[in-house]
Amino acid sequence: MVSFIVRRLISGVVVLFVVSSLTFFMLYFSATSVARNILGESATQAQVHLKEIELGLDQPLFSRYFDWLGGALSGNFGVSWFNSQPVVESIVGRLPTTLSIVLVTIVIAAVLATLFGVAAAVRRGWVDRLLQIVSIGASAIPQFVVAIVLVTVFAIGLQLLPATGYVPLTDNVGGWLASITLPIIALAIGAVASTAQQVRSAVITVLSRDYVRTLRSRGLAPREILFRHVLRGAAPAGLTVLSLQFIGMLGGVVVLEQIFALPGLGFLALQSTTQGDMPVLMGVVVYIVIIVVVVNLLVDLAVGWLNPKARVS
Amino acid sequence: MKFRSRVTAVALLTAAAITLTACSGSGAQPASSDGSAGTGGTLTIGAFVDVKSFDPAQAHIGHYVQYYQPVYDSLLRREPDGTLVPMLATAWEYNSDNTELTLTLRDDVTFTDGTTLDAEAVKVNLDRFRTGNGPDASTLAQVSDVAATDATTVVITLKAQDPALLDYLGNADGFIASPAAIEGGKLATDPVGSGPYTLDKSKTVAASTYTFVKNPDYWDPSLQVYDTIVLKPILDTTAMSNAIISGQINAALLTAKTQPQAKGAGLTEYNYPTDWQGLLFFDRDGTMVPELADVKVRQAINYAIDKETLLAQVGKGLGTATSQPFGKGTDAFDESLESAYPYDVEKAKALLSEAGVGEFSITMPTVSGFFDPALTAGIGQNLADVGITVNWENVAGSDFISSLVQGKYAASWFSLFQGSPWVAVNQIIAPEATYNPFHTTDAKVDTLITAIQTGSADEQKTAAQEINKYIVEQAWFAPFYRPDQIFFTDKNTTTEPQLQQAVPSIYSYAPAQ
Repeated sequence: MVSFIVRRLISGVVVLFVVSSLTFFMLYFSATSVARNILGESATQAQVHLKEIELGLDQPLFSRYFDWLGGALSGNFGVSWFNSQPVVESIVGRLPTTLSIVLVTIVIAAVLATLFGVAAAVRRGWVDRLLQIVSIGASAIPQFVVAIVLVTVFAIGLQLLPATGYVPLTDNVGGWLASITLPIIALAIGAVASTAQQVRSAVITVLSRDYVRTLRSRGLAPREILFRHVLRGAAPAGLTVLSLQFIGMLGGVVVLEQIFALPGLGFLALQSTTQGDMPVLMGVVVYIVIIVVVVNLLVDLAVGWLNPKARVS
Repeated sequence: MKFRSRVTAVALLTAAAITLTACSGSGAQPASSDGSAGTGGTLTIGAFVDVKSFDPAQAHIGHYVQYYQPVYDSLLRREPDGTLVPMLATAWEYNSDNTELTLTLRDDVTFTDGTTLDAEAVKVNLDRFRTGNGPDASTLAQVSDVAATDATTVVITLKAQDPALLDYLGNADGFIASPAAIEGGKLATDPVGSGPYTLDKSKTVAASTYTFVKNPDYWDPSLQVYDTIVLKPILDTTAMSNAIISGQINAALLTAKTQPQAKGAGLTEYNYPTDWQGLLFFDRDGTMVPELADVKVRQAINYAIDKETLLAQVGKGLGTATSQPFGKGTDAFDESLESAYPYDVEKAKALLSEAGVGEFSITMPTVSGFFDPALTAGIGQNLADVGITVNWENVAGSDFISSLVQGKYAASWFSLFQGSPWVAVNQIIAPEATYNPFHTTDAKVDTLITAIQTGSADEQKTAAQEINKYIVEQAWFAPFYRPDQIFFTDKNTTTEPQLQQAVPSIYSYAPAQ
């Protein structure tokens, strides 16, 4: 198990290195007029040229790359070219917003998708058909449409929840919950729908297995078979889907952070990309790759724990 | 049994979440603007941009000034109508040929770190501004020296006259930071000035909420109408509209598309122009598009554009059609030039015929998400009607301005700020102006520019009007209209638009009576 974890961590580091290096080179070759963007429309060309020198944009590619790599290895990702904030401070300040939304959505998706998926698989008939229809419908609605409807009804119409902004959990638990409720609903609808479908399929498959029939023939209670054996067998499929959902949500949350004016990692990534804020964008890429690697590792370990056949010695 | 207990747990958690939300009292978190004048309260403003740096050497005009005004006093203060009044400087005087400006400073001001304001502090700030390569550093390009002649006197020496210098000192250039804080090197995120408020970092989340609290020792309490000012950068126009309609903020700049909803919600609307939009003909000598060298061709394009329809369809009718690039409220403005080029396809065709040009094409840049499709369609159709084909070339938003100022296009649509005549001259007319990439000029323009720069006040005004009339006749540009800035406050708040500024100054807000 330890060697498995070490191997996965090493491959994670390789992935991190390759992805961040490729991003750096791609950004270099698609370089925009970042100095002009920083200084604005009234700056002279001489000022723009001076700013390019200040930022080191006149340096050769590999000199800039090794400068960045050296800093990154020591945990120093530099300072934003646009707002003077240290990159790490900027990312760490925004992680709670994005993770609050994504993690709570994942928990809600896991609970509701399991309930709905198991109910459909066990009951079949109209419950199953209803789940299928609702799931397809819910998956088809774009998140931003749901978000706009939610804002219009609950923030502007009923004024029950805030239309924009984020309240840190440490400031006010109620305010935090209020500020993330609408984004979570917008994000969760699609996640619950697609995960419930996967759970349903997995449970149906496990229910048809020989060992389940054997357990039934031995007189075990249906509920015990379901919770002790079937769910355990179906869980890896559900976990895998959830991990993919989690990674997808890190991208999907970009639009929601814009609609709800949330200071999250997704909006930071979008903004730094459009502006050409290379230090911030590189920092965001590194953090997101680390999150993805860690989530995948945890899911692999959880699957191994749930399903001995998938366990790697 | 286990199943039931788990379901119960989920139900309990859901109920707890709903209860917490309901009990938080911060559901919609209404912004409070509850104080009457001078009695406090909180003012929450939605800002269309995020501050790039609190260092005043990096200060910028327009949307950005509202981030600096709470913390920093300026040397001069601009009233909403543009009149300059004392702030840190109590008096200012030019020498006989306007090449030396003497400022007299207040002697009773201290920065919030305890440092005393004196002439040396002003010198340090002005020197940093002009050499710090900030967005507006070039506005002090004519300054050759700043000298602190005694504790309260600063003398600014110029290489050549600069008619806009006083305006600059009442804007981004004039914010003064504590010299001790400058030495500390953390001004970008920890501003220290002598302004009416200080940044409360414990209630500030970068890129989300900037909270400014009243400076208890401020020398002019009349500028401290609110106890607290909160600036919330909201970069999405729909989110901004939702925030003010749902009561989260008291004031916001909206757009033509979000205006109807805010108006319908009973918010107070303010309309004022700060920009002009239209075509800029860069290649007036015909280097890239030979046809553009002929004034008749440029005039024909002016006649071919249906300004009123573009204003109605793109600007939702919120603005004023015009044919001149200088703004209302400036000395150069001439009411008779507003309709110098009415929409007249036949006249456009006749001019093109007189010029002896056949059908030709112009390549212009367009930026996805910035150029309204109705705008490019309208321009394309109007010009096609007179035999000119527009080839739109897609450019990344971040490369757009660079491509213009580097002379990659013969012409382009753009939206430009309308400042004072001297600002406009340096922006679009002078041979070295930012938006004159081909450096085109002629003897008359040069003479008039010199008159604006070096003449007496009356001569400057006359020359500004003449240069406006001349470049309209010569069709250096094809202005379409001046779009209105669409600003809203809630029912508890009032404000007054600031001349030549995208948003009101923070001094102009007050609780509604």
